[in-house]
Amino acid sequence: MEAAVNAKPKAKLSGANPKNILPAWAQWSVNIVFILYSLLCIIPIVLLVMVSFSSEDVVMREGYKFIPSVFDTSAYDFLFEDFRQVARSYGITVSVTVIGTVLSMVMVAMYAYPISRRDFPHARFFTFIVFFTMLFGGGLVPWYLVYVQLLHLKDTLWVLIMPLLIPAFWVLVTRTFFATSVPSAVLESARIDGAGEVRIFFQIVMPLSLPVLATVALFQTITYWNDWFLSLVYITKNENVSIQYLMYKTMQNVQYLAQNSQAMQALQQAGAYVRFPAETMRMAMAVVGIGPIVLAYPFFQKYFIKGLTVGAVKG
Amino acid sequence: MKQRKKRLTVIFTLLVAVALVISACGGGGNNNGGGSGGGSNGGSSSDGGGSPSPSSGNDGGGSSDLPPYELSLYYPGTPQKDEKVVEEAINKILKEKINATLDIVPIEWGAWDDRMNLMIASREKADIIFTAQWNGHAVNVGKGAFLELGDLLQKHGQGILETLDPAFLEGAKINGKNYGVPTNKELAAAGGIVYDKTIAEELGLDMSSVKTPQDLTPILEKVKQGRPDVVPVWSNGGLFNSHFFANYDFLGDGTIPGAILKDMDDTTVKPVEELDRYKEYLALAREWYQKGYINKDAATTQQSSNDIWQARGTFMTVEPMKPGKAEEIASAASRSGELEQIIMTSKTVATSETAGSMLAISSTSEDPERAMMFINLLHTDKELNNLLNFGIEGVHYTRNGEIISPTDKTADYSPGSAWMFGNQFLNYVWDSEDPEKWNKFREFNQNAHVSPGLGFVFNSDPVKSEVGALANVIEQYQRALETGSVDPDKVLPEYLNALRAAGLDKVVQEKQRQFDEFLASK
Amino acid sequence: MANHAAEAIASATDVPEVKTRKPSFLGTVRKYWIFYLMMLPALVILFFNNYLPMFGILIAFKKVNYQIGIWDSPWVGFKNFEYLFLTKDAWIITRNTLAYNALFIVLNLVFPLAFAILLNELRSKFMAKLHQSIMFLPYILSYVVISYLVYGFISPEHGYLNKTLFPLLGIEEINWYFEQKVWPWILPIINTWKNMGYYAVIYLAAIVGLDDELYEAATIDGANKWQQMTRITVPLLTPIITIMTLLQIGRIFNADFGLFYLVTRDSGVLFPVTNVIDTYVYRTFLTVGDVGMSSAAGLLQSVVGFVLVYFSNWVVRRINSENALF
Repeated sequence: MEAAVNAKPKAKLSGANPKNILPAWAQWSVNIVFILYSLLCIIPIVLLVMVSFSSEDVVMREGYKFIPSVFDTSAYDFLFEDFRQVARSYGITVSVTVIGTVLSMVMVAMYAYPISRRDFPHARFFTFIVFFTMLFGGGLVPWYLVYVQLLHLKDTLWVLIMPLLIPAFWVLVTRTFFATSVPSAVLESARIDGAGEVRIFFQIVMPLSLPVLATVALFQTITYWNDWFLSLVYITKNENVSIQYLMYKTMQNVQYLAQNSQAMQALQQAGAYVRFPAETMRMAMAVVGIGPIVLAYPFFQKYFIKGLTVGAVKG
Repeated sequence: MKQRKKRLTVIFTLLVAVALVISACGGGGNNNGGGSGGGSNGGSSSDGGGSPSPSSGNDGGGSSDLPPYELSLYYPGTPQKDEKVVEEAINKILKEKINATLDIVPIEWGAWDDRMNLMIASREKADIIFTAQWNGHAVNVGKGAFLELGDLLQKHGQGILETLDPAFLEGAKINGKNYGVPTNKELAAAGGIVYDKTIAEELGLDMSSVKTPQDLTPILEKVKQGRPDVVPVWSNGGLFNSHFFANYDFLGDGTIPGAILKDMDDTTVKPVEELDRYKEYLALAREWYQKGYINKDAATTQQSSNDIWQARGTFMTVEPMKPGKAEEIASAASRSGELEQIIMTSKTVATSETAGSMLAISSTSEDPERAMMFINLLHTDKELNNLLNFGIEGVHYTRNGEIISPTDKTADYSPGSAWMFGNQFLNYVWDSEDPEKWNKFREFNQNAHVSPGLGFVFNSDPVKSEVGALANVIEQYQRALETGSVDPDKVLPEYLNALRAAGLDKVVQEKQRQFDEFLASK
Repeated sequence: MANHAAEAIASATDVPEVKTRKPSFLGTVRKYWIFYLMMLPALVILFFNNYLPMFGILIAFKKVNYQIGIWDSPWVGFKNFEYLFLTKDAWIITRNTLAYNALFIVLNLVFPLAFAILLNELRSKFMAKLHQSIMFLPYILSYVVISYLVYGFISPEHGYLNKTLFPLLGIEEINWYFEQKVWPWILPIINTWKNMGYYAVIYLAAIVGLDDELYEAATIDGANKWQQMTRITVPLLTPIITIMTLLQIGRIFNADFGLFYLVTRDSGVLFPVTNVIDTYVYRTFLTVGDVGMSSAAGLLQSVVGFVLVYFSNWVVRRINSENALF
């Protein structure tokens, strides 16, 4: 099957043909468009970070500013106050993200490949099976009952992984990629060479589909990293919550009380100590929640782009 | 095509079969602790005959003849660092008195509703759960979540019956039965304002002349001129049309329209939006808003008045009143002694207060009698009560008589939930508070006007479609109107029309019908 | 061992069909048994995570009492659906949900596709990488955070626009959360801004996977960039574009709760342009606390989405069965 790939004439890098590139002026204008748009994406995030380094009083008085008149790190005090918990939650999130992403990527690909094969008579049925889950669901309570009473997975790491393993959307997108970017002629010649389905899948289909696999991996990483709801629902031992939940639970509290005026009034009446975390602290929590994944992104992207170019090498 | 249909049928049948099994699990009584909490059920996962005796035997060695038992206490709040230490101290007392141990389970506010819903749905084992009229008490009772407490109270709750004003239990009933034990705290409610004394002094404002909200207008004008850096009135909704200020009794859930006036004796249920009082306060709020006295984001802000007090951002707020309210806010905002309060309405007693904070016993409890014994202790045992609320003496606070002072370990255990647990009159008083706090509370509880609706809770089930539709209409108009952010002359009629279209009259009629039935049965 | 078991299970459930099919079912299974094995892990997860909980659909037709269990709770027919159609809000939330989602589908196709094509044309791979990374940032943010960011700009009291920028430009302050007419612009902009990176990456992955030879041949034939795009790139991307659109049509009756509830701060004045099914149902749930009613809404959304997708898929299949979803 090595032969199958090599049978195709000379591999070439995209854009390598000097005749087929945009003229310089066009390159520049495209670049400028992108620079402007990138600014649009980055400015709000700069504001977010800057506010998290301001002091609350200043924000209240002067409003949100890009350059805080006083630089203040007190919003981050909670990080050091309970450093062990923060570290532990990061640990949980990282393990869940790594295990979940790898498992998910493999399982999605293994499901998407058969249903991408037009000669597989049950492809449509199994496509429908997965598509149906995108639209219909039983709701929170039955879902909870299955995990807690049938599978007994409450308070385990597995319960933070399993519900997100098979995203229907990505199964279907991957299926489409397999169907379009893996030429059936390649599969055919491999089969003639006597390769089994497993070998074809792992040695031809997977390498040819690196762009989409990298895409699935990227989005699953973000899905796992950003998840706080599973912790909210299934984790009762406080020290075992993910970092996102650890950060968001405070915002959740704000949200709940701000939207539920009845509860708010009752609490105030009862003399409960209702103080919302300062705006600066909320921003700091957001930064702590997204920070590492943003920092990890360049590393990730290195492989991601590599995946893309590897994909482009095919002949 | 045909085959697929057949296959789908097979799958569906399978699903239904499994579903049956699961839902049977879900409804099957108190088997299966769901993996959490106490290790009492030793691996018995099948449906036993329903005999709830824990299998661990009687070798506990406690002084009483009760078998040992672990009680779980669920309440909304932030988990505390020193929870384990405090639990141990509590267990020492509990072992001796009722041979039980306690597992404190605080759940964050943002997760509380979801988690409770799931716990109730999955029939997870729990013993004592915080509940309140404003936190879906009636709905959860309807779902069969809580035990009826009449007999238990008679049997193990003598201390509660002795110390608690009967009005509390009377006012917390649903269809004539108690499903929760109210906290013994302030019974009466009133409305008023809290204002910044330092600003009043600085500008030479005469606050003693203030009797009604209208009297405040000239004062706010002076604040606006003299202190442009603060918002004269800060509000996040309601303002003078909050139920505690305008004395509306919504007869249960405050978000379902139709109310009586709790400072009057009339028992006709009316939409508050049609009352003169409502319109008068709307006009005032509008006037203030247009003059710039009220914060511009009143209808959308997500801050609490405590935040604003701490940031020194306002001159006054409208608050529910009780003795020492201003100081309570001041000390929470680290501004002790700087705030003052004016009570502006008459005192009333209504269900919103009597059922505003309760402890219920879950219908999944394996030993409801023990749970009631514990609640009884919270109402009568001073040591236990203060331990749960303030932590360990000498560690989390230091005590001098009834007065306690914070230590540097206070932050490790300060749940701030004293109003949820048992009897507040047993609580120590922080050194920043009025030492006479509890006596003033007792005095305040006297001579309040009892709302005709006390003890009645509206059951919205017959009209829940209408209530669901109304909830959206109310959200759309109420906050903007009541904070003066929009013009009442134009928007109020629109609001009323929308309410009518969503079934206002049907809901009010149903409320009246149930209320009349209640009154007749009294 | 496991293979045989899987085979046995797969064939056992479908024994009756063996006779009716031309290429016999058993034959198919024997030929493709490895495929069933490959799909098995995902099928197990789907079974527990998605199909088993579907018995909850019954809740939509029941008055639930957990003490007696979901199964034994009394049936109430379609009563749980009533509140959705009770007022003129029904029209408003339907219109808003469908109109916004239709607009989002178009925007999430046009802009990311254009950006992906342009990104692919950039000669400097470094710049392409950089832009792509930055473009992706908003997608990582949750709507809770985005709502704070938006608030940071347009808060009437402290916002950057009202407090800093507008005074500078001499524009009068705007009370954004009370201005109905700006939100039909703000919401699509935020939606596109947040999702741009997401969809652009998908389309980019598709473009990179295209065969270079086609472009080389086209260049030799003298086709310019525009012609290459309209004649080669877009037609070759049709399958993925179709799938993406079909999948989004399936969710057309489900609004993005975070966008419509958190970002608008649930401001009542804006409801005529921001109230959608999901926010409507949520507010009802806060007051009534009835799972039956929210299940009913969910079921309705699913059924509408399902019907629409089924229809669209049928249309697609008529045109080109290769591109159809199922």
